[in-house]
Amino acid sequence: MALDDPHPRPTPDDTPARPDRPGSGSRPETDAGLDFGSERLPCGRPLARVWEQARAPATAAIDPHTTGCAFCREAIEGLAALDRATRALRAEDRPDDHSLADRIISAVRAETRLGAMLLLDDPDRNRRIAESTAAKVLRRAADSIPGARAASCRLSPVQEGDTWHTVSMTIAAALDDPLPQLAEEVRGAVLGAAHHMLGLAVAAVDLTINAVLEPPAPAVDDNP
Amino acid sequence: MRQKSRPRQMSRPRPPRHPRGPELPSRPTTQPEGAVTAGQRRTPGQDVHGDLPDALLTVRAGEGDDDAFAALVRRHGSRLLALAQRLLGNPMDAEDAVQDAFISAWRQLPEFHRDASFGTWMYRIVTNRCLNMQRLPRLLPLDTLPEPATADPGSSPPRVAESHAAAAALSRALWELGPELRACWILRELHGLTYADIAHVVGCSEQTVRGRLFRARRALTEAMRPWH
Repeated sequence: MALDDPHPRPTPDDTPARPDRPGSGSRPETDAGLDFGSERLPCGRPLARVWEQARAPATAAIDPHTTGCAFCREAIEGLAALDRATRALRAEDRPDDHSLADRIISAVRAETRLGAMLLLDDPDRNRRIAESTAAKVLRRAADSIPGARAASCRLSPVQEGDTWHTVSMTIAAALDDPLPQLAEEVRGAVLGAAHHMLGLAVAAVDLTINAVLEPPAPAVDDNP
Repeated sequence: MRQKSRPRQMSRPRPPRHPRGPELPSRPTTQPEGAVTAGQRRTPGQDVHGDLPDALLTVRAGEGDDDAFAALVRRHGSRLLALAQRLLGNPMDAEDAVQDAFISAWRQLPEFHRDASFGTWMYRIVTNRCLNMQRLPRLLPLDTLPEPATADPGSSPPRVAESHAAAAALSRALWELGPELRACWILRELHGLTYADIAHVVGCSEQTVRGRLFRARRALTEAMRPWH
């Protein structure tokens, strides 16, 4: 507990907890700490410490006072009663949000951000696709490779007004297979989807692996 | 009490910091910015994004992928609605707060710098919105307040439905706390956030969070005295 905070700073959003405690306004940053550290039970023990011990039974076991003191026991029982009620309250907090989620998603889809409009590979140069739409298709292609999941996917024309594009993609990769092999498979999938599904000319696929995709943790890993 | 989550699988090999670049076909650079898990909080059968970690969905949504954002809404909506209901006490206002928060997040995502996780960021937006709504001078309709405890606080509560009655009493006692204390307590005890995350969500120091939590517990244990 930082009772001696070397960097007292004013916290304008917080008011001293106990205005009746003398000197409480002088060091607002430490007030919270001093305040909950200084409230003592009739036996002299700080209430905060008794509660801390109650939550960490290992430390409480080596303190003979707490187990024998009626004031401490009452404080601990009070916290236990609050904890029981808290668990009951937590169990009730399961609102059904399906209709709300649907409403939110509809509202968001109505505000779709299309991004730049890209020229498709078409001799008449009059067909375009939104960058965000193309990116969705290319991410899905990358996702289809086991051990790869796409994150960012940006597309830009090689030159202004060009039908050739560069794809810059970041992926999270599992480490099951060598990364060069994975990268090659992702690039192949992205190029294939761009050509066959979108009709978009892609000159280069720049891949950046910037996260490790870890397998889901096994349910029980306490006994290896 | 939940503590800060520890990194799992310490023995798992870390990604090479300097992969043999020339052998890779493109220019892959490995920047281990913290491993992401493939199986964070699955919502089975929801959609194809169900198994993607928040970090990936957030990047995708920031680039305008509304499917990715929909997955984030389905993953976090229920928890945030529970939070808003506890903070506001009114289901209609709570739904408005959560909806506004998500739409505001959708608009802000392109500038989201990921100094916090998406979940913590949403907690922050929803909490701020709820606290601001409460500052407006208005009356809460009485019929939407939490049900009062049926037991007379002076008598020993009956065993039957005791936990429900205790929860109702606690729910009412929460309303006696100030909004800041209530927010900190709810984020910690009902949502399991760390002190650091709560400090980020409510915009104060961790020390202030600890002080508020102590005062909230102090007041709530007092209010729950009949249930000892």
